[in-house]
Amino acid sequence: MVSFQPTEDEQAFVDLARDFAKERIRPLARECEQEGRVHPELVKKIEEVGFASLELPESWGGLEMPLISQVQILEALSSGDLGVVQGLPGAGDAASLFRFIPDHPLLASYKEAGQKGTWPTVAFLHAAEGEIPQGVTITSADETGYVLNGTSQPVRLAAFADYLLVSAVDSQGETLLLWLDRQKGNRWQAEAGDYRLGLLASGCARIRFDEEKISSDQVLAKGDEAKDLLAKALRRIQVLEASKEIGLMDAAVSYVTEYTAQRKAFGQEIAKFQGVSFTLAGMAIETQAMRHLVLRAAADIDGDKGEVAASSTLGRVHRALRFVSDSGVQLLGGHGYVQEFPVEKWMRDAEAQTLLYGREGELLIQRGEQLLDRKVPIEV
Amino acid sequence: MISFQLSDHQQQVKEIVHWFAENEMRPISMEADRLGKVPDEWLERINQLGIQLSTSSFGGDKQKSGSGEKKKTERQGNRLAVIASEELGWGDPAIALTLPGPGLGGPPVQSSGTPEQKERFLSIFSRDEPPRWGAYALTEPDAGSDVSGIRTTAKKVEGGYVLNGQKIFITNGGRASWVVVFATIDRSLGRAGHRAFVVEKGTPGFSCTRLAHKMGIRASETAELLFEDCFVPDENLLGGEEYYQAKASGPSGFRVAMKTFDNTRPIVASMAIGIARAAYEYTLDLVRREYPKQGSFYHRASELLADAELDIEAARLLTWEAAWKADIGQPNAKEAAMCKAYAGKIALDVCAKCLELLGPIGLEQHIVEKLYRDAKIFDIFEGTNQIQHLVTARQLYEPHGVRV
Repeated sequence: MVSFQPTEDEQAFVDLARDFAKERIRPLARECEQEGRVHPELVKKIEEVGFASLELPESWGGLEMPLISQVQILEALSSGDLGVVQGLPGAGDAASLFRFIPDHPLLASYKEAGQKGTWPTVAFLHAAEGEIPQGVTITSADETGYVLNGTSQPVRLAAFADYLLVSAVDSQGETLLLWLDRQKGNRWQAEAGDYRLGLLASGCARIRFDEEKISSDQVLAKGDEAKDLLAKALRRIQVLEASKEIGLMDAAVSYVTEYTAQRKAFGQEIAKFQGVSFTLAGMAIETQAMRHLVLRAAADIDGDKGEVAASSTLGRVHRALRFVSDSGVQLLGGHGYVQEFPVEKWMRDAEAQTLLYGREGELLIQRGEQLLDRKVPIEV
Repeated sequence: MISFQLSDHQQQVKEIVHWFAENEMRPISMEADRLGKVPDEWLERINQLGIQLSTSSFGGDKQKSGSGEKKKTERQGNRLAVIASEELGWGDPAIALTLPGPGLGGPPVQSSGTPEQKERFLSIFSRDEPPRWGAYALTEPDAGSDVSGIRTTAKKVEGGYVLNGQKIFITNGGRASWVVVFATIDRSLGRAGHRAFVVEKGTPGFSCTRLAHKMGIRASETAELLFEDCFVPDENLLGGEEYYQAKASGPSGFRVAMKTFDNTRPIVASMAIGIARAAYEYTLDLVRREYPKQGSFYHRASELLADAELDIEAARLLTWEAAWKADIGQPNAKEAAMCKAYAGKIALDVCAKCLELLGPIGLEQHIVEKLYRDAKIFDIFEGTNQIQHLVTARQLYEPHGVRV
């Protein structure tokens, strides 16, 4: 039966996340941005409440929630500040892979490390896709291992990471999923650039490898198995990231509604000018439409639907995010442009987010190719 | 829990209506567009099968569940209505609007009529009788989106009212057995002076003066109606005198009109989604069969089609949400406006994207060009896109005490 009613548990968790976002995250957003990391006290609180382990496997002590619940909670949390949510240390995007291989022996030490309540930080370097070179090459050194070289594009959490999850295609065209652990002797450099655009607390950095030797027992998966795992993890990541973007959009709609209902010009609230109110309505409609698309994609993944429009949903949400965050600044006028008000930060964070998580056009094309490549029944 | 899975009943309704759309509507679609009307013999046959367009489920449901009664089983009439309407829009929106039944006149009678009026006006639609229609007449030459500006007058006389004025853009207005007509008893009263009447076909002074020629939905009759000293008896005042006298600030014809919109907008939105889906499916199929599988066109087509798929899905979910809210007895004015705004817009966007992919061959006998012409009206009637934005903004600002 078609229904839009969250379960009671979901609602309770969402309410908690929304309160947390409002009371704890939003007030610290600017400070975190200036410090280039999320305040440790805030991280601790988030871990205590369980928000850091929504996606992690139950056998690891995580909540292993269905995606439909997670997207609602992450949206609420991100309505506090996307920059803070993206800067939270821990498993990050790699959690979506861990979910499928919780008992992999290579991950045992990470699982062990997290049992004290704090998950060490993992950066996910996804260099296995795309036509544009990712900067990192992987070659087979001999039968026992590989060599990583080069410098990646900026990756979220790389500056804080003790572990790396790397997806790459080797010189033979084989897809690989690698697990790198500093404590076990892996070496890489995190090169933080002069970032000014947004998500400044998210630990963005390039990852540099200098002839880093990877033994074959550091391979989590390869070939078709790696491709399959990667595809499954990526679509979860795409939907989770889209839900965070909805959180920012929701924040902008609420903030702008309140602001324009109070701000006066020409003797009346600016809300009464249709140029303002129609733009706000457009922001609200777009946000609600995108929220539904994200929920739909989450429900499809939870229901093991074979083909899910995850990539295109994220691409479409990227476009909406740009529109809504830009409109937020626009409707505040000059106030929107200065840092006394949060909307300028949201617009910058939004743009940085869309850069990190895939180009809109490419994400749509991925889905479009799926649609066009379906077998066409031949009429006899 | 949140679910987008159709129940067995919903799936069944979708499949039955889709079968009808594919096998009964589509085969006559292009010809009905050329003729500018749905063939009479087709309508008679369809009526004998008991197929009607009814949009009444919205109003009735809301009233009952709004009273706070405990519901034993979850109502789903509104969700069924939008699921069915999407399939009808997919088949042919002009034919869908011409299916016998009370049409857009149904909801105001259902939600505001007295029990006697409901019986009298809604019971005439039967498969055992010739096909009949109801209609809804609000728009005037000088009052479209601004419903409060209507000029058709209703003067109280012994035993009833005398109507004078003109109505335009009235779907099925010429063929309707009765028309819900909005008029004012005193323009100085503004909205409080509005009244809704049911004017029956053949009433002296009531005539259809012209049928409009349109860009699209050509098979759907769009009438101009004239009221010249047209006497309407008291018993045809929708809701009766008591309905308007119940409270000094009580309901007006304006409120009847607005309530109708909350109820019909999701249905109109779902038809627009059906149009978009029809264009998308047709184009996807054609591109897959006949166009190259590589190169810049292939990439462009991939992007446009993926975008169209999501436009349609997002519009559908907004519409389902509006229907779901009505089913569970919650106010849905904002959701109804949002889904109509979004669906009306994407319907044309999707058709335009599809035409872009078809190129010049889109000019000849491909249904997409017809869908493009049909789609445009869905961004206009039942409240223009701008009106939907206004309604949405009003709802957003209401908690802040600002009336826009």
